[in-house]
Amino acid sequence: MDDRYSRQTLFPSIGKEGQKKIRSKHVLMIGAGALGSGNGELLTRAGVGKLTIVDRDYVEASNLQRQQLYTEQDVVDKLPKAAAAASRLKEINSEVNIEAVITDATPEKLEELVKGVDLIIDATDNFETRMAINDISQKHQIPWIYGACVGSFGMSLTIIPGKTPCLNCILKKIPIQGMTCDTGGIIAPTVQMVVAHQSAEAMKILVEDWEAVRTSFVSFDVWRNQYTSMKVVKAKDENCLSCGQNPTYPYLDHENIMKSTVLCGRDTVQIRPPKQQKLQFTVLSQQLKALGYEVKGNPYLLSVEMNEQRLVIFNDGRALIHGTNDLTQAKTIYQRLLG
Amino acid sequence: MNKVLFFAHLKDAVGEEVIELDTNGKSVVEIKELMKEKYPALNLENVMAAINEEFASDEDILQAGDTIAFIPPVSGG
Repeated sequence: MDDRYSRQTLFPSIGKEGQKKIRSKHVLMIGAGALGSGNGELLTRAGVGKLTIVDRDYVEASNLQRQQLYTEQDVVDKLPKAAAAASRLKEINSEVNIEAVITDATPEKLEELVKGVDLIIDATDNFETRMAINDISQKHQIPWIYGACVGSFGMSLTIIPGKTPCLNCILKKIPIQGMTCDTGGIIAPTVQMVVAHQSAEAMKILVEDWEAVRTSFVSFDVWRNQYTSMKVVKAKDENCLSCGQNPTYPYLDHENIMKSTVLCGRDTVQIRPPKQQKLQFTVLSQQLKALGYEVKGNPYLLSVEMNEQRLVIFNDGRALIHGTNDLTQAKTIYQRLLG
Repeated sequence: MNKVLFFAHLKDAVGEEVIELDTNGKSVVEIKELMKEKYPALNLENVMAAINEEFASDEDILQAGDTIAFIPPVSGG
């Protein structure tokens, strides 16, 4: 397919040279939900060299309205998003080296994942992970592109270490997550608008057109018809603990205290064991069945039906407990079944 | 006089996208407190502020004619 990228190389700011650069780059994308689906597809179609997709979740029916890479069959199969996304993206462009990593993007994991990476795309759904990405980006001098959306409202910011302020300069601390859940819902056009901003910035960075990179914090509401672009040069803080004179990367420290998380608006708690495990699903599945539970699974996860809750266990020992927002109850269930 | 703009769900809490207010000489944090008194349903904690489309910190002071916008950071994705 010689002319596969012809329309992109005809675009003067990319050209043949730019295309070679795109081809030589490795992008790390954290999250494979709505923003991850959109960004992943555009980067793959654009012909990036390597795309690593990291996600901790699996495909559910409520994803299909906006997460463009997934199908009804993925829901039936309860496929992990990273695996489902990778297989779809390989069909779209077999030239791209696509790697699926089914894990929680902890600071420790991020340290392993950023090796040789040219750009990080934020497609996460929480500020803890974003702040960790922000710190890792500063520590290893890798640009990243923040993107987020809820309802009809979306926003994006491009962070280039050494040039722009970082997310910690602007937010100062982790904002209350509740604001996202309370407003409720998300429509697909909001996602696409954020994806358009993120992937345009990604292309600029991949072709090294640094002059073209947006230096403002953009936000828009596609339903209430608002659009604003906030200049952020002034926000750069020399005392910032992430990007200032004496950085301590505070958000890379959280590994040991963030063992359970309530997943916002999902009536779900995530439990992560302190040490990564390698579970033997066949053995575990038999044990759980012997206890009288209904167990379903695939090579990546086991789903255990209980009275009020449903437990989904990944083979690294991480679990999602659906049907509760109670951390203690979730931990109890986890420990009862997995010790 | 000053214009105060509310983005996204803040617009719903206030009932209007933009209000006119004489905030001369007040800092961003003071305006936030004023808005909270005026609109009890409005939560401006962790909300970003821009004065004339430029990032503003809590201590920045508004001058006559300035427009201040409140933009809530969101985390979905």
